[in-house]
Amino acid sequence: MRKLMLILSTLVIASMILTACGGQPAATQPPATEAPAQATEAPAEATEPPAEATEAPAGEPTAVPSPTNPPPVTTGGEGCDPAATQITWYIGLGAGSNADVIPAEKAWVENYNKSQKDACILLNIVYNDGGGGNSYNALRALIAGGNAPDIVGPVGKAGRASFQGAWADVTPLAEAAGFDLSAYDPALLEFTKDEGVLVGIPFALFPSFIFYNKKLFDEAQLPYPPHTVGEQYDGKPWNLETFQDLAMKLTVDANGNDATSPDFDPANITQFGFFEQWTDARGIGSLFGGGIPYDEATGKAVIPDTYVQAWKWYYDGVWTHHFMPNADYQNSDQFNKGNVFPSGNLAMAHVHTWYTCCFDNSAMSWDIAVMPEINGQITAKLHGDTFAILEDSKNKDIAFKVLSDMVVDPELAVIYGGMPAVVADRPDFFAAKSEAAAPNEIDWSVAEEMLKYPDLPNHEAWLPNLAEANSLLGAFRTTMDQTPDLNLDEAIAQLQSDLQAAYDAAPTP
Amino acid sequence: MSTATRAAVASSSSHPRISAHTRRQWTYGFLFLLPWLVGFFAFQLLPILFTFFLSFTDYTGAAEFKLGNFNFVGLDNYRKLFVEPDALPSMGVTLKFALIGIPLGLVVPLFLAVLVNSRRLMASNLFRTLFYLPTVIPVVAGAIIFNGVMNAQSGWLNLLLQAIGIENPPRWFSDPLWAGFALNLLAIWGVGNAMVILLAGLQSVPTELYEAATVDGAGPITKFFYITIPMISPVIFYNVTIGVIVAFQYFVPALLIGSYNGNPQGALLFFPTVFYREGFVYSQMGYASVLAMVIFLVTMAATGLLFFFGQRLVYYASGETS
Repeated sequence: MRKLMLILSTLVIASMILTACGGQPAATQPPATEAPAQATEAPAEATEPPAEATEAPAGEPTAVPSPTNPPPVTTGGEGCDPAATQITWYIGLGAGSNADVIPAEKAWVENYNKSQKDACILLNIVYNDGGGGNSYNALRALIAGGNAPDIVGPVGKAGRASFQGAWADVTPLAEAAGFDLSAYDPALLEFTKDEGVLVGIPFALFPSFIFYNKKLFDEAQLPYPPHTVGEQYDGKPWNLETFQDLAMKLTVDANGNDATSPDFDPANITQFGFFEQWTDARGIGSLFGGGIPYDEATGKAVIPDTYVQAWKWYYDGVWTHHFMPNADYQNSDQFNKGNVFPSGNLAMAHVHTWYTCCFDNSAMSWDIAVMPEINGQITAKLHGDTFAILEDSKNKDIAFKVLSDMVVDPELAVIYGGMPAVVADRPDFFAAKSEAAAPNEIDWSVAEEMLKYPDLPNHEAWLPNLAEANSLLGAFRTTMDQTPDLNLDEAIAQLQSDLQAAYDAAPTP
Repeated sequence: MSTATRAAVASSSSHPRISAHTRRQWTYGFLFLLPWLVGFFAFQLLPILFTFFLSFTDYTGAAEFKLGNFNFVGLDNYRKLFVEPDALPSMGVTLKFALIGIPLGLVVPLFLAVLVNSRRLMASNLFRTLFYLPTVIPVVAGAIIFNGVMNAQSGWLNLLLQAIGIENPPRWFSDPLWAGFALNLLAIWGVGNAMVILLAGLQSVPTELYEAATVDGAGPITKFFYITIPMISPVIFYNVTIGVIVAFQYFVPALLIGSYNGNPQGALLFFPTVFYREGFVYSQMGYASVLAMVIFLVTMAATGLLFFFGQRLVYYASGETS
């Protein structure tokens, strides 16, 4: 009997240990103040690109969340030389964690490992839910635990900002490896710096332009917007006035009246002319020219005049002239809950090359057009991705060798949908894009043309206390989208004050 | 009595002898408790102590956690709590949500439990199931659904309000005046669990009490307030306690709908959201630890006050006291 009791007790204790280590007991359920079965992820509104995009737009996390994230994907060094140095490549701060690209990434890694004997790449892919949650927290845990990966990417400025101070300076690594950085456009190298430090080598570029729905133009019997800089639109210069007039003609209410009509009903709009897709207040500000809300010489928050003009134009466009959707329209079923362009009810969207990730390229009838001239200049905001090496990496030299091979590999550029920084690789990139968009014939020359008009300084340029500054700018855009009777001058003044407080609270390096 | 016997008696009176049986029972008891104790130390107590330690540092999470990668900053993180513009207002948002949500979270499920418990209701099992169903839906899915249901343009709630003649229904999650209340409405959707617990309480009330009250001429309202409520007061107390704890930890729907800035205009910026933002968006682990400690202490204090005052109002039929 005693022996039986001992055996039973051991079994019960073992099962209790397993239960204790498995999670919270379900004994108490929260009552009406919260539905139980808490999600562990920190997901977002439905207005941001899913993880397919390489760059999480700065500001608010807004991806459509999933109750469950796919488990991490790792590789064990298949094809490696036994003496090769293990280099961990972490994917999850930008593109690359979606199921459809993982096989291509694994194949690339295996081929690379077999092609040389110095490095053995181990992949660690953690699903990017777009909200700065799952994959970002996983990387934080790795870093805190002393298991920092060597290479992270593809990642843009916004992703790197969440780990400010964690990135290695690649300039000395390039010098040691004999890598010629002068082959790159200095503007692109400058763009790839964080806080003045070169953290990667330009890999993929994402210029912005106008995506337009050809079907809506055909229905309205309006000509398509211009594809070359300097081309007129219907006999008029392609400038802000012409652009706004066009957008208003393409904004239609339930009765078929457009926004130029005195009978137009802004409470029942069924189609909008234009939308600034998935960007924050800085992205909108860059429409009127590049700038940053920070004076490095004085350390003061200064809102550029171009930003103020752009925000006023944008706010009027949403609430006075009604050719851009407010937050309620953006998030409605009719406008695809934030991913407005593929709803088929938006005529024009300003967004980057990566946006081809986020709608069925072959299902819609669409093309791209150049940005209008505003205040005598054309500005097409730019995103760019790189691969970066963590400062905590224990094998920076070998990691740089891998990185330098990655950034020039045309196969990786196609996998991530970024326009290669290396001009010679672009034809293949555009060929792949065209194949995906068939039967549409997209004029990709627009993308290359818009690359000549980047916003400088870039709208994602470093600011002190960048994460907090981005948060404030994201909130400002949301306020503009949600608030019909906003005193915009006061709101801008408050933003400036809040930014100053954030800059003052920036940790000292 | 022999000397040996006297010695034995003297020894046993100064050192009470624990029998082998008792010692065996204690050993088994400890062994059964051990897994929970290990789990408690490893996954609850140690992290709490570690959080307290982190609250005195400027660790950011951008480097390995080891000495040299962070500095001790004394009480700077605690001072920041009173200087940083969002922390205290977010506690206000949380308290406002709790003040509306906890009473609602009690009255509505109680009403439904009484309804389902009624003998006059046909197919009460069906209603019980229907009221409980939303509880099993993941909170993320529920928040997304409600975000659509309460959309000012296409949400069916506003379409329904317009159909009954309300021309300008609230813009729910876009209007700072209504956003918090809209979350309270979302919380009511998950009322089923509390309803089931209250239903169990209602069904445990002895029917003789109702019969005796009927004989004495008591009406239904009198019976409800003088018999039902006192008899289920322990269950009500339990629900209120859980409601208070959950209200101070309310996070996921607020983050999903309002993002980490608590849009619109901070109306949905709950205190746990600020904690999450500081720790995992701004990487200020030290300050985030302070916020975590505040959540812990405020919840403990609220629960303690609840127990101190609430127990006086709770009637235990078995005669238990607090």
